[in-house]
This record gives sequence, C-alpha cells and structure tokens, in this order.
Amino acid sequence: MVKPPRRGARLRAVLAASSVALLAVSGCAKSEDGGDAGKDQGGQGQQAVQSTAAAGPTCSLDKFGGEKFDLKSAVVGFSQSEKEANPFRIAETGSIKAEAGKIGISKLRATNAQSQFSKQISDVQQLIAQGAKALVIAPLNSDGWEPVLRQAAAKKIPIVTVDRKINGTPCQDYLTFIGSDFVEQGKRAADQMIKALDGKGKVAILLGAAGNNVTTERTQGFKQQIQAKAPGIQVTFEQTGEFAREKGQQVTEQLVQSHPDIDAIYAENDEMALGAVTALKGAGKKAGDVKIVSVDGTRAAVQGIVDGWIHAVIESNPRFGPLAFQTLQKFLDGEGIPEKVIISDREYDSANAKESLAGAY
Amino acid sequence: MTSLTTVPAPIGEAASPPGASRAERAGHLLQQHGAAIVLMLVVAVASLAFDGFASGGNLANLAVSSSFVAILAVGMTFVIITGGIDLSVGSQFALGGVLAAWASQYGWLAALALPLAVCGTIGLAQGWLIARTGMAPFIVTLAGLLGARGLMLAVSDEGSNTYLVKSSTFAEFGQGEFLGLAYPVYVALVLFGLGALLLQRSRFGQNTFAIGGSEDSARLMGVPVARTKITVYLLTGLLAGLAGALNAARLSSGVTILGVGMELDVIAGVVIGGTLLTGGAGSLSGTLAGVLLLGTIQNVINQIGSLTSAYQQVVSGAFLAVVVVVQRYLSRVQRLT
Repeated sequence: MVKPPRRGARLRAVLAASSVALLAVSGCAKSEDGGDAGKDQGGQGQQAVQSTAAAGPTCSLDKFGGEKFDLKSAVVGFSQSEKEANPFRIAETGSIKAEAGKIGISKLRATNAQSQFSKQISDVQQLIAQGAKALVIAPLNSDGWEPVLRQAAAKKIPIVTVDRKINGTPCQDYLTFIGSDFVEQGKRAADQMIKALDGKGKVAILLGAAGNNVTTERTQGFKQQIQAKAPGIQVTFEQTGEFAREKGQQVTEQLVQSHPDIDAIYAENDEMALGAVTALKGAGKKAGDVKIVSVDGTRAAVQGIVDGWIHAVIESNPRFGPLAFQTLQKFLDGEGIPEKVIISDREYDSANAKESLAGAY
Repeated sequence: MTSLTTVPAPIGEAASPPGASRAERAGHLLQQHGAAIVLMLVVAVASLAFDGFASGGNLANLAVSSSFVAILAVGMTFVIITGGIDLSVGSQFALGGVLAAWASQYGWLAALALPLAVCGTIGLAQGWLIARTGMAPFIVTLAGLLGARGLMLAVSDEGSNTYLVKSSTFAEFGQGEFLGLAYPVYVALVLFGLGALLLQRSRFGQNTFAIGGSEDSARLMGVPVARTKITVYLLTGLLAGLAGALNAARLSSGVTILGVGMELDVIAGVVIGGTLLTGGAGSLSGTLAGVLLLGTIQNVINQIGSLTSAYQQVVSGAFLAVVVVVQRYLSRVQRLT
C-alpha cells in the first residue's frame, strides 16, 4: 500500500488551521480610520439633552420598586449590539467605557452581540446572572426582549436603552430610553434635501436595516417633511443598504444603472452614504452631481462635505456614556426619570464642515 | 426487509474490533467523546475560576440559549452522517419564527402547525432535489437558505414588520419553566433521546450510516438511498420550523433578524462533536457535547470581562480547526491498519 504524502497533508492541515486563526484575528482588527473616536474626552461633541418629554410621567425608584445601591461598586452591564466595525459603535462603546472609568464604576461588564440577536439576548441574561444591578443596552432589535425583561423585572434591575428603543412599558419593563429623535432627524435631512434640490427633483432612499425603529422613523420623518414642504420632490427608489458601507455601494451601483436621472440620495446613515460616494465615483460622476444627505456625523462623512461629495449630514450623537450614567445616578438618588430622554443633534453642511471636523467622531 | 439480514454495524459507534491496538481504541474514544471530555474540562475550570459561572441562573441561561442550536443540530447530525450538508437551517429557523408569531393569532395549534408545514415542505423539496436529481446538497440548500430568507422577508414587509405572539398558551411553550429550566431545554433533550434511538437502534439509522460510508455499496446492498436522504432533509426542515416556533414563543415575537449564520454554528457543533464531515460516522451524544461546548465558550468569554466577544469566534474557530486536524489524523490511522 502506498503511503500517503504525509508532509503535504500535514502542511495543508497547518495551513488550514493558521488561516482560520488569521481570519479571526483580521476580523477583530477591522476598525475604521477614526479608531481613536471613542477616546476624545475633551467635552467636544458631548451629548446635550434636548427634551425629556417633560409633560409625560416620570419614573422614580419608589415607583419602579427597586432598592438604592452604589453605582460605583455595583456590577453594571453594557450590551453592545453590533460589531464595532463602524464609527458610531466604536464611539458609543468608547464613551460608555470612558465615562465608567471617569466616575469610578469598577465593575463594568461589556458584551458585544456581534450583530446576532440571539447572542444579545443570552449576553444580557448572562449579565443578569453575573449579578448586574443596572443595565445599559444598545438593542439590536426593538422586539423580542421578553425573556430579558422578565428576568430584569423579577430582580428589579433598571434598564437604560440607548440609541434604539425596546418595545415595552417604561418604568415597568425598562427605566428609560436615551437617544435621538429619529423622526426629527429625518425631517431635518429632508429640509437639507429641499435646500439642495431647490424643491424639485428625484430622490433615492438608502434604507437602514429592517426591524428597528431607527430605519422606520428616519424614513417616516423624511417622507412626511418632503410631502409637506416640497411636493416637487419625488422619491423614485427605495432599497435597504442595511446600514453597511458595502451594501450602500452595491445598491447605489444598481441605482445609477436603473435610474440614471436620479438627482439626490438620502442615506439613512453615513456608512451607506460613503458607499454611495464610492459607487458614484465608479460610475464617472463628479462631486455634487448627485446630492447626498445622510445621518450620523462621522468624521469620514463630514470630510465628504469638505470634499464636496456629500451635501449635508445630520448628526446622531453616539456618546451615550455621560448621560446614561447620570440618568442612573439620578434615578438612584430618588429623582424622577422621564420615559425618554431626547438628545439634541447638530447638523453639518458646507458652511461649518471644515471647522466642525474635529468634533465629529 | 429480508434482503438485509446482515446489517453493517454503524461505523461511528462500532465497538472497536477485537484485536484493535490500544492506540486505535484511544483514537475511537477521542473521536466519539473528545468534545465531552473538553466540555467537562472547560466547565470544571470555569466553575473554579469564575464565581458566577456555576450558579443556577447562569447554567439555566446557557441551557436555554443553546437549546435552539441543539434542536437544529439533531437534524444536521443525520444529514452530515449521510455525507450531506444543510445550509438552509438558519433561514428556516427565522422563517419558522416569523410564521409562528403571525399564526399565533389563530391559536397555539396554528402557531405550531404553520412553521412545521412550511419548513417541512422546504426540507422535503430540498431532499427530493438532492436524492432524485443528484444535485449537490451544498447548492440545493444554499438555494434553500436564500429562498427561505426571502420568503421570511416577504411575509414581514422586508423584515420591518415584527409580528407579536398573540396566544399566551403558545408563548408559554417558550417561556414556561419546569424545575427552573425553560421548556425548550426539555424539548431539545427529548429530541436528542429520540434521535439517538433512531440513529442507533433503527433500520433508518443504519441506512443513514451506510449511505455516508459508501453510497454505492449501500445501494447495492438494497438500502433505499433516495428515501433515506429525502427523510433526513425533511427532518432538518421540521426541526428548524419547530426550533423557530419555540424561539418565537420565547421572545413573544417573530424577530426577523435572527438566524443569520446560525447554520454555521450548528455545523460547527456537529463537527466538533466528532461527526465526520465526509459522512459515515458520528453520534448525537457527541453533537450535544459539541453544541454545549460552543455555548460554554461564549459564556466563558463573557465571564472574562476584559476579552471582547470577538475572541469567542477565535476560540471556536481554533477548536474547529483542531478537531478537523485530529479527525483527519485518526481516519488515516484507521485506514492504514
């Protein structure tokens, strides 16, 4: 019997093993050019509260039914939803960790669901099992939190959801939601779009990922405002780019083929807008041929305004750390917490892009 | 049936032939129970190293979150033993969940029956294509992956409409607890038990091993190759629908972003459990250990607060690589003796 070529086989096995390891390493090394984004501590670009639904009911420690504890020595859990492969997520996690360090929360446990919803559910359940007294959650999806909410309610653990909502009853299922007014973001994007197009033209929308309130509300606000203010603008194309750069590029490539007469693109986040820029460059368009308005305020997108490719960017501020922990502290001190805390977002256009670049994340 | 008087013993579970060398017996043991041994080691080390790990709450969470992958892995073990693969289970899981949540407005029976019917049909169609037209399982089930996800998006307005579970009886299937463990855990365990009986003690199970060992010889021996193959893919479809429905009950809603890449977790669990990707050998006890091992790794990485979740994939990938290398080595040893 002929012996198999052992050396070759062994080499292949080693190669296979090392390539698996390499893949994994390159996976976690993937980062954006703005990798230092979460680190800026200088107060520049910090979140400010815009409204706290003042008329609405508030939630106090008594009403919630929990007990006071010391935030600094307690286990506090943070569950991030998506891979930290885009500046928003990098800045968000960075801000939470930096603020926890600053105010002296020694037992912050952070998990990342890597965009897998079932992992996020088990991540948070594990944080609860590890004795977390308070939770800050950036939910991947708004529905489907039943098992987590039940466990948290049983142990009276206050949950602060940041950037996206959890569908449930405030003060019972969760404490409060801190985030932007996404409908308002959509409206402001529409205002910029109307200015860019002088009130008439054909617009394409690069939708965000399905199944969360951000996409729905950014779309809703944009369309409402366009309908109300500029009936001359038509939305002729809508397709999801799933908040991802490569998907935004791919959809835009198809768009310029199928709708060559398009005047403008509304991208529901910066990553897709940057993908669209790449696609437009590839199709031989020049800066400004197709007006792009997007939402987020990442450094690369604001740079895009400076370069003339992007018309305007509505900010969606990811630096949730200070506000999240302030809210928890106030709650523990017995103050009433509103059921949602809306932050104010800035706007970037050609007038302020250059000087604002440093404040973008 | 009389044509099969001498049924070949299933290869994976065969007791080592008399006169086998000690090394060979050790090899068999490693192949069949390697994952269980590593699992016990990891659990033992983690219980000592982390206070929270061995707590009832944490282990219950671990069991529940692994139970859905585990249910899918039962079917996948059968498929892989025949030498096939089913890439569509993650999409079918998501589809099953959305269908169950939608159908729950008509009561719990509808919420269970609809996903089973639809996913069963997809499985049956896949099995028929693979068995009757000889197309590669990889391609057929890749088409199934895309098709099932497309169907799921179609019934949920491109994923933007999350149906909420309307029947509290149905929600109880996923949320109810017995002795501190949620019902899906028991469902998974029962399915593993039934699956092991089917695989080890029935003619169907023996046929599954025979096809994976050598399809041509199996056919010559009179094994109903096509029927067996169709049945295993039907089985994965039904199990994916069931797991999806139970998960929808647990989450009280038909979440549309679930199940992406889940098929790979399932396959990884099965392979780490010692089932040969080339078919012909494997066991459900190994699969159970493999799935639990992957879940435990995730749990342990979370316990080590300083490591990011990305390392979970590094560790799982490394395990997978090691297992495949070891399997290759073991199968060469067996071939040479």
